Amino acid sequence: MTPYERPGREHGRVWRGISLAAVAATVIVVIPLAGSAYTLQLATDILTSAALAYGWNLISGFTGYLSFGQVSFYGIGGYATALLVLHTPLPWYVAVAAGGLLAATAAVVIGPIMLRLRGILFALGMFGLARILGVVFSDWSYAGGGNGVTLPAELTPIGVYVFAALVALVGFGLSAWVACSGFGLDAMGLREDEEAAAALGVPTTRVKVFAFVASAVLPALAGGLVAWNRSYIDPPSMFDPTIDLQTVVFVLFGGIGTVWGPFLGTLVLMLVGEQFLVYFPNLELALFGLVVILTVLILPGGLVSLANRFGWLRQPVVLAPTELPDAAPPLPRASSADAVPVLEVRDLTVRFGGLVALHSVSFMVGRGETISIIGANGAGKTTLFNTLTGFIQPAAGEIRFLGRSVAHLPAFRRAQLGMARSFQIPRVMDAMTVWENVVLAARHGRQGHRAVEHAAWVLHTVGLAPMWLHPVTRLSPGHRRLLEFARVLALDPELVLLDEVMAGMSREEQENVRTVIRRLPALGVAAVACVEHVIAAIADLSDRMIVLDFGRKIADDVPSRVLTDPVVVRAYLGEPQ
Amino acid sequence: MLALQLLVDGVLLGGTYVLIAQSLNLIFGVMGVVNLAHGSFIVMAGLFTAWFTATTAASPLLVLPIVLLVGFGVGAVLQPLLLERLVRHGRRAELLSLMVTFGLDYVLVELALQIFGSNYVSVPYLQSTFTVGGVTVSKALLVAGLSGAALAALLHIGLNRTPLGKALLAASQSATGAVSCGIDVGRMRLVAFALGVGLASAAGVLLVLVIPMAAESADSLTILAFVIIALGGLGNYVGVAVAALLLGIAQSVVGFYFGGDAENVLPFVLLIGFMAARPQRFRRAA
Repeated sequence: MTPYERPGREHGRVWRGISLAAVAATVIVVIPLAGSAYTLQLATDILTSAALAYGWNLISGFTGYLSFGQVSFYGIGGYATALLVLHTPLPWYVAVAAGGLLAATAAVVIGPIMLRLRGILFALGMFGLARILGVVFSDWSYAGGGNGVTLPAELTPIGVYVFAALVALVGFGLSAWVACSGFGLDAMGLREDEEAAAALGVPTTRVKVFAFVASAVLPALAGGLVAWNRSYIDPPSMFDPTIDLQTVVFVLFGGIGTVWGPFLGTLVLMLVGEQFLVYFPNLELALFGLVVILTVLILPGGLVSLANRFGWLRQPVVLAPTELPDAAPPLPRASSADAVPVLEVRDLTVRFGGLVALHSVSFMVGRGETISIIGANGAGKTTLFNTLTGFIQPAAGEIRFLGRSVAHLPAFRRAQLGMARSFQIPRVMDAMTVWENVVLAARHGRQGHRAVEHAAWVLHTVGLAPMWLHPVTRLSPGHRRLLEFARVLALDPELVLLDEVMAGMSREEQENVRTVIRRLPALGVAAVACVEHVIAAIADLSDRMIVLDFGRKIADDVPSRVLTDPVVVRAYLGEPQ
Repeated sequence: MLALQLLVDGVLLGGTYVLIAQSLNLIFGVMGVVNLAHGSFIVMAGLFTAWFTATTAASPLLVLPIVLLVGFGVGAVLQPLLLERLVRHGRRAELLSLMVTFGLDYVLVELALQIFGSNYVSVPYLQSTFTVGGVTVSKALLVAGLSGAALAALLHIGLNRTPLGKALLAASQSATGAVSCGIDVGRMRLVAFALGVGLASAAGVLLVLVIPMAAESADSLTILAFVIIALGGLGNYVGVAVAALLLGIAQSVVGFYFGGDAENVLPFVLLIGFMAARPQRFRRAA
């Protein structure tokens, strides 16, 4: 089992989680009433760390953008709080909240830039950001420079504790909401496969930035609390990379991308760490490092995956009704004028550096048409598809979809408008169930207002209804392809673009796909365009065939004439000897 | 004349950077893993060198081959123990490997702190200078820079001329392709990691001759190495060498005009600046 695999799914029932939450809430309420000062401080520290853990879990757990620099926001929040308290008459809690707001603003600005990076680049970029901020604050005399800021002592342990509990609760609530909401589905979808998510209409940048902002506010509030609690802060302690290490360790140990993982991981490790410090002082960091290594090697799913094995703390299948509704056909949508072609491509040119991949290609797809685009390897077929669907920016040319210019719209907008594509190799979301894959797309399609009903209809239509709650990893290759196709239908598309769906298939499998393509018009699809290598399998389905050769269109006619065209034959078979 | 002085200092510093970066490049190329513990291996070797030369009065250049071999051995033990087992997780292996090396980094840094303490140390080696045409050259910097560049060049030749090196390059370009040519890619990952750690340790020996080093320098060195390979181009050994020299020069100039803080933070600024300006250039490496 690996992180992100979400093995424990509990359909319908979450009462165990709720009862656990009730126990936790009771303990949180009882501690200040019954505990000693030491217990109260420890509980405050645990809750503050849990808030940090929940923040990190939103961006790195649910959304999959591993960050080694969320401490940047912790520092920003701490400094904002300290400086506001020092220079304005604002009360503490307002200053802390203002720090959170400032961090949110900073995240809105930084997010779109940093989140263009993926994987290790994002992780190290964030790490670098924390370092830069540390240096900036050391040199900034208004903020006390390297000496830090000393605040008037106003230690109100109960106040800090209550605020910390609230912040941790907000973190928990956000995680719980993400785990069972459409937004969370989008976030987890882009974690699995960002391009495929965009092709299903997920506004990837917006989702990422929102998750990033949420994951900035929580550490900022925690930072503010710490400033309040300690009445002294300085750059090394507020931009300390080991705070990020701790957070990563806690979340990983508890279970990354889960609702309960951050809290449980923080709780257990802080209690253990407290004991450990007594016996092995100064070895805390080495211990944490060791815990990370061992967790990854032995229990990559963390404590929560262990609990899942006994039926505890499972997460619900997102947006799933208790029973799969009956097939209700899609509502008729406001159809565009029939006179307008579904797709109109004019003088489309794509360059990769010096290479011209598409050279002034023009064609039209009318309502009710099925066309196929053929050509030898490297002719530009997939490039054409990627450009039409918004994954490649054209150097020149015009793409009109239902009469509307879409060449400058991002991929997800084109999907939302009804331009759906399949990928050559099915790119289904492996960590999700069949249902979640389909409803993810349905929410962004043109039946989005009745996504659940539409997703159910799609599953009945393609024949995946009996396995609607199966994890995708358990599907056979044939069913995976069917699921990819179901997601295309879930968008309720006007135009379907199929990218070499028959490549490498047996005759029998090809026949199945051909049946599906024939059914598309009956399912509300106005036009179909296929890129295909297997000409025999596609010729009789096509109203027209377009032939590409080295990025140029060399033929565009009915199949019988295209296949006998000497120019096409020459492009395929070479010059006669 | 000042310009020439800064240029010479920068190029020589860059010579040690080349080795730091190429050793990370080798691991990243073959394993697809950014070794976040890279800097801690460098620091470990540097601190050991400082302690060993101080206690035995041995020449650091004598220590170099020993440290290189020990580093190689450590890498050869750690790779199967920690990293090779993650390969079976497929697409998620990258994340898990990052986590493991992240954890390893903290274990090693803490170990270094416990063994060698938290102070900045340096090695009093060849502390004289000589002057050529108005440019003052530190002998230690000259030795370190030239040795670093020489080892990196040796690695480059080894990769391109020997059968093992060619197999490593093949594994880094396409694991599937390499397997179908009969190359044991699992073994190549082991060799790459061991060699990478060995060379990083050697770089640590050279680096401690020219700049003071402490356990806490580890992360900065990891980032430094990563910035250089990000700027020079992943798997592009010539590009990385050029980037290392340029960063050395940039640091010596920035350090002269704006002080040590600015010099240390420069790699981060460059990384974020370049990533923000030209994200498509970095897309591939992710």
